[in-house]
Amino acid sequence: MRSTINIFKKIALLTVVSATLWSCEDKLQIEPLQSLSPEIALADEGGVQGALVGAYDGMQSATLYGGEIMVLNDLIANTSEIQFTGTFAGLSDAYNLQMVANNGFATGTWSAAYNTVNRANTVLANLAKVTSSAANKSRVEGEALFIRSAMFFELVRLYAKYPNDGNPATNPGIPIILLPTTDATGDLTVARNTVKEVYDKVIADLTKAESLLPSSQSNGKFANKWAAAAMLSRVHLMYGNYVEARDAANRVITGSGRTLAATFPGLWFTQINSGGTSPGEYLFFMDVTNQDGVNQVNTYFGRTISAIPGTAGRSDCKIRTSHIAKYETGDARNYFILSGGFNYTRKHLDRFGDVPVIRLAEMFLTRAEANFRLNTTVGATPLDDVNRIRNRSGLPSLLAADINLNAILKERSLELAFEGHNMPEKRRLKQDFGTTVPWNDPKTILPIPQREMDVNKKLVQNAGY
Amino acid sequence: MAKKIIYSFLAAFLFMNAAMAQVLTVTGKVTDENGIPVSSATVIEKGKASSGVTTNENGSFTISVPKGATLVITAVGYDTKQVVANSANIAVPMATSIKGLSEVVVTGFGGTQIKKDLTGNIARVKGKDIEYLPTPTVDQALQGKAAGVFVNSQSGKLGQAVTVRVRGNSSISANSQPLYVLDGVPITSNSQSGYGGAMNPLVDINPNDIESIEVLKDASAGAIFGARAANGVVLITTKRGKAGRTQVTLNVQTGYAEATRRIDVLNSDQYAELILESAKYRDDLSGTPLTDPSSWTSYVKNDVMGYYSYDQWSKDPSKTYDWQDAVFQRAPYQQADLQIRGGTDRTKFFASFQHLDQTGTVIGNSLKRSTGRLSLDQKANDWLDIGISLNLARTWQRRLPDDNAFSNPLQAIALMPMTPFTDPNTGLAAGAPPGDVNIPLYYNPVLTVNYGNFTQTVFRTFGNAYGRAKILPGLLLNTEFGIDYLSQNEEGYFQSQTVRNQSRASRGVGSNGAAFITNINSNNYLSYNKSFGKHRLDATLGMQYQNSLAKYNFTEGLDFPSNAYQKIASAATKSGGSSSESEFSFVSYFARANYSLMDKYLLSASIRRDGSSRFGNSKPFGNFPAVSAGWVLSNENFMSKFNFFSFLKLRASWGLVGNAEIGNFPARTLIAGDAGYTGTPGLRPSQLGNANLGWETTEQVDVGLDFGLFKNRITGEIDYYKKNTRDLLLAVNIPATSGFGSVTRNLGQLTNEGFEFVLNTQNTVGAFKWSTNLNAARNINTVTNINGQIIEGGVSSMNRVVEGTAIGVFYTVEYAGVDQANGNALFYKNTKAADGKFDKTTTSVYAEAQRVVVGNPNPDWIWGFTNNFSFKGFDLSVFFNGVVGSQANIYGMGRYSSASMLYEDNNTADQLRRWRKPGDVTDVPQVRLYRVNGSQASSRYIVDADYIRLRTASLGYTFNSNWLRKAKIDKLRVYVQAFNLLTFTDYPYWDPEVNADSFDSNIAKGNDFYTPPQPRTILFGINLNF
Repeated sequence: MRSTINIFKKIALLTVVSATLWSCEDKLQIEPLQSLSPEIALADEGGVQGALVGAYDGMQSATLYGGEIMVLNDLIANTSEIQFTGTFAGLSDAYNLQMVANNGFATGTWSAAYNTVNRANTVLANLAKVTSSAANKSRVEGEALFIRSAMFFELVRLYAKYPNDGNPATNPGIPIILLPTTDATGDLTVARNTVKEVYDKVIADLTKAESLLPSSQSNGKFANKWAAAAMLSRVHLMYGNYVEARDAANRVITGSGRTLAATFPGLWFTQINSGGTSPGEYLFFMDVTNQDGVNQVNTYFGRTISAIPGTAGRSDCKIRTSHIAKYETGDARNYFILSGGFNYTRKHLDRFGDVPVIRLAEMFLTRAEANFRLNTTVGATPLDDVNRIRNRSGLPSLLAADINLNAILKERSLELAFEGHNMPEKRRLKQDFGTTVPWNDPKTILPIPQREMDVNKKLVQNAGY
Repeated sequence: MAKKIIYSFLAAFLFMNAAMAQVLTVTGKVTDENGIPVSSATVIEKGKASSGVTTNENGSFTISVPKGATLVITAVGYDTKQVVANSANIAVPMATSIKGLSEVVVTGFGGTQIKKDLTGNIARVKGKDIEYLPTPTVDQALQGKAAGVFVNSQSGKLGQAVTVRVRGNSSISANSQPLYVLDGVPITSNSQSGYGGAMNPLVDINPNDIESIEVLKDASAGAIFGARAANGVVLITTKRGKAGRTQVTLNVQTGYAEATRRIDVLNSDQYAELILESAKYRDDLSGTPLTDPSSWTSYVKNDVMGYYSYDQWSKDPSKTYDWQDAVFQRAPYQQADLQIRGGTDRTKFFASFQHLDQTGTVIGNSLKRSTGRLSLDQKANDWLDIGISLNLARTWQRRLPDDNAFSNPLQAIALMPMTPFTDPNTGLAAGAPPGDVNIPLYYNPVLTVNYGNFTQTVFRTFGNAYGRAKILPGLLLNTEFGIDYLSQNEEGYFQSQTVRNQSRASRGVGSNGAAFITNINSNNYLSYNKSFGKHRLDATLGMQYQNSLAKYNFTEGLDFPSNAYQKIASAATKSGGSSSESEFSFVSYFARANYSLMDKYLLSASIRRDGSSRFGNSKPFGNFPAVSAGWVLSNENFMSKFNFFSFLKLRASWGLVGNAEIGNFPARTLIAGDAGYTGTPGLRPSQLGNANLGWETTEQVDVGLDFGLFKNRITGEIDYYKKNTRDLLLAVNIPATSGFGSVTRNLGQLTNEGFEFVLNTQNTVGAFKWSTNLNAARNINTVTNINGQIIEGGVSSMNRVVEGTAIGVFYTVEYAGVDQANGNALFYKNTKAADGKFDKTTTSVYAEAQRVVVGNPNPDWIWGFTNNFSFKGFDLSVFFNGVVGSQANIYGMGRYSSASMLYEDNNTADQLRRWRKPGDVTDVPQVRLYRVNGSQASSRYIVDADYIRLRTASLGYTFNSNWLRKAKIDKLRVYVQAFNLLTFTDYPYWDPEVNADSFDSNIAKGNDFYTPPQPRTILFGINLNF
């Protein structure tokens, strides 16, 4: 009897255990909760709008408008104005023109820019899902085109010859990518388009973006019509299209309703002094908060000043007295702080300061330069535009007799100093770097990243790498 | 020898005599060498196996045999003993087995095999061999103990991740650490920390709770763990109760630790000499007079040595501060262990407690661990055994940042020797406000120790329950359920004084993060064990289910009212917050059979079918078979003439095992929701999927020879293996123009091939005992195909995967020394000509030199060598281990600190032999401030990392006196133990056993980045048994 019970018990046990043996296979189906499949994530307009914000997030990467694009443009070959003492070898090599093909900054900016291009292309490929209104659809398309164009423009400036250097119709630019990557099965290798093709595409897309975008939207954190026009003006100026540069700048000045900040120092310390609000003069900027975003211009140009809480930085970029000597007495733009025996620019001391991409002041200076070159007075005379900038910083007006191209360019270089314009201006104007480095020195052009050359045989490397 | 012959005659005589004697009732007591009773020992009369008895918990037995009969006493773990029954009371002291061949080895899923029956390769490390070592994690304790198991402790930071490679690195992108299985449960062993370098969750296991560790090395042993066994499987079996008198063991040890090595850096005079020389070079170049205020010379005098010394340098130029003094410390160590063990035939228990309090040899690092364990085994009735075990641990650690952080204390060696530790104006540490925060040259890491804190607290629960039912004679049904709960809290606060390092800390930054991992596992299997005649068979059939669910959350706050408020409740700005979750599961079926014929012919086969949530829909299941065979030659008659071979076995195995450790959703195309901008939520494509993704498969062949010589006084193993890994789970680089960096594919092949040798000898027996254990292994790792992928990693991407060589070789430009004429650094061009030869002409233009393979972080040979001595009450154990043929990359520090005074960083003393004038023959180029001369990435910074370490040395004395016995104390041992006492190496920086946490990956090994050296620990201990 007892043994019969035992046998029953054992059979019951065996049944229970073997049931568990075969009932588990459905446990292999586990859905990710963090990141979702594209079918779910991009199912509707909300998803596409999210992807658009994601493209801004991409553009704000440390290696892009998070600041490193500006830092590279200021630092490369600029030994006469900056004493770079940082230990990031990638930047030090850029500064000293000793870059090699696997330069970390060259690799980082390239990868992040194309990552952002892919984000923008994801938006453009899913535009049909934006159905709430035609205006919304236009806005979404315009913003995505703006972001993609800005990335192509920055890439072609950093990784290729300038349009005025040889023949832009044959010089290699950068690959133009217009579709999102959705699977890895096809051939992902691409060749470089020519410099001219890239500029043509950027100009066409920015022109379209300007027409698509609303004039009223946002406050400069997101692109509106005037951000697109301002970027377009900059692109045309870089290409030497002075008429188009002038007209685009004029459209911004007259149409945007934006005004110059009352004082030059009022442009800076957006977090420390303005609680995170940027001045209206910032036509387009990257919004940095203590929760999101980085300011890499602050990282490399900034310094911790004990007396100003909220300042930080690596103290890597010490501004030489040769630069400071360029300012006239009383110029508010002589905006430096002496600390530990060195001068640092005050523009970028704020740890959470917003990163301006385009300021209205640049538009006045562009209009002035283009009008002067074209001998026109569209919108205003060059003298008036230049004086508007000078007066804002407490300098007396120039006289009509003083106005000439050099005077306009000097105002431009002082006004926009250490905002990422040094190399573009030198190259555009064919001004050599100091006494030893020609304006078109091949080593001032970033290498196509070695990892990219390794996986994409269609690419041609830049000279010197 | 003569003595033995006499004994044999004597025994034979007595045996003959016994035949005519009458029955005698013998009462005896079986004890070990230390007089501790051995319970459950079997006592039989020789030749009459059916009439045996077993000893009780006091080691006592009673048996009736003819007077003069021979009694054979056997017990697991002891040498078989024969005694002649010639009196009513006999004492049987038994010797702990030294042969190893009779040891029982755990094989997984309830399986055990006697070592001599094994056909696969399993290395066994007894808990006793790693007892009371001052290594907080069990994987570190394995170092040098098991042939073919490479352990690199990576750094001297406490509780950090350790590199363990079983028979080489068998993956490029997937995890290459072995699978850790604790009492049947695959446990969480990957880092969960959000700060600093990777942590080691094995730190929650008290190594002294371990009965044994088995490392399943070949495919035959590992295939029962299928898709997760390609990197080897480490089975950890904990101690359980034993029937017998309750035994209490108390061990207390205390001591201190110091960094194993320091390095020579420049003193203030030498520093000034070099930096002035390098500034002069620049001034001469531009024709600037040295006294000119704008000269480099003025700059280094005033703005460097003056400013950064608080203007002390001009007053006392020779005053030197060795910043190593500021960041290394003499670190106390305390540990107490209590173990209680006992039980009856039906109920057995084991309980243990530990408290460990260890301080790091680098400031700001400490670890405290408290653990408790209880296991119970109950014989419920004649067919059912049940049991549980429960382990609770609390591990608290004060963590250091990762190596590549200015707050890493070792980065202080970059600071100038004239910078005082203390700001003379404030009396506070240099750089602390209200003093000048921009002194020293770089952030003073001492500030983060003084004004910051990052702690991790882990509560860990390991629990198991099992039932084992006898269904039929020999057939058992086993069901096991196990949990591994890991709950971790990480809390950091950095005060405003650290703002130069924590740039957001101007009014304090605090963070609080948690990880909760619920890992459950169930094993259900039938096992069958039967001997019939000449045949022995054991077989297992079953299934395993595992699910691991991880949840994380994190909050961060800025702007605290004052540094006294450190909880995020007081943060005016809640600057960060997140929660996330990830999950995986495995469902697996397995079968295994071991067969033995006449104890001569051994055959084993197993198969496992593994399913995982991790893989693509088209490949959720994989099959992993293995077969092996053994031939015990020493049991063959023809071997009788070679009777010096007491044991000889040939074995061979073949099998397939897999690797699935590549994150939880690698097969899918994913859109992440973390791409918000300016407070608006955003999405981004985050991963490019691959629906065809499957297992990484390793096919392994192993041929081995186990031998015993001269009555097993000498035993050993020789193994040859070859592992072919195919369908590598490879993060394949794709053009970044696609918007993605890589995609995971099954692509590529690599092999690991090698030899392993184990030799155990009992050199002397008797009063003076000396035994030796030597293990050595050679592994050759070759990447055979990666389809032209460029896979790089490490400091300045100098580690690379190159076809035809080992994973992660150092691939960089080859340094050619210094041009005697001008002090320029030279490099070999190494352009490959059409005939395959390299152009060995030199150039000073770095860009003209091609990169080549210049070193390998994977050692050729690893070895461990232990000598144990005992004489009377004394015992001495001396254990060396080492690696041969490995290189390390010191470029992380070298580019700044061994760089011909390129920057203002202090330099290593070897830079004094720089080139100074034409004709100088040296390997250190001319010093040139801010002008790169030889400090580019090159073989100049790839150095030999071979070492021999006196890993442990311990000397003990066991008291054996009547008063101890009267006090009911079984054993009292006092000892002194040294860990890492001596290191023999030519390595120029701190520790050749290095792997910087900031750069660590499968392919990025052997990088040094101001990585703390391991501790040298001296402990005094007392061990009491009663």
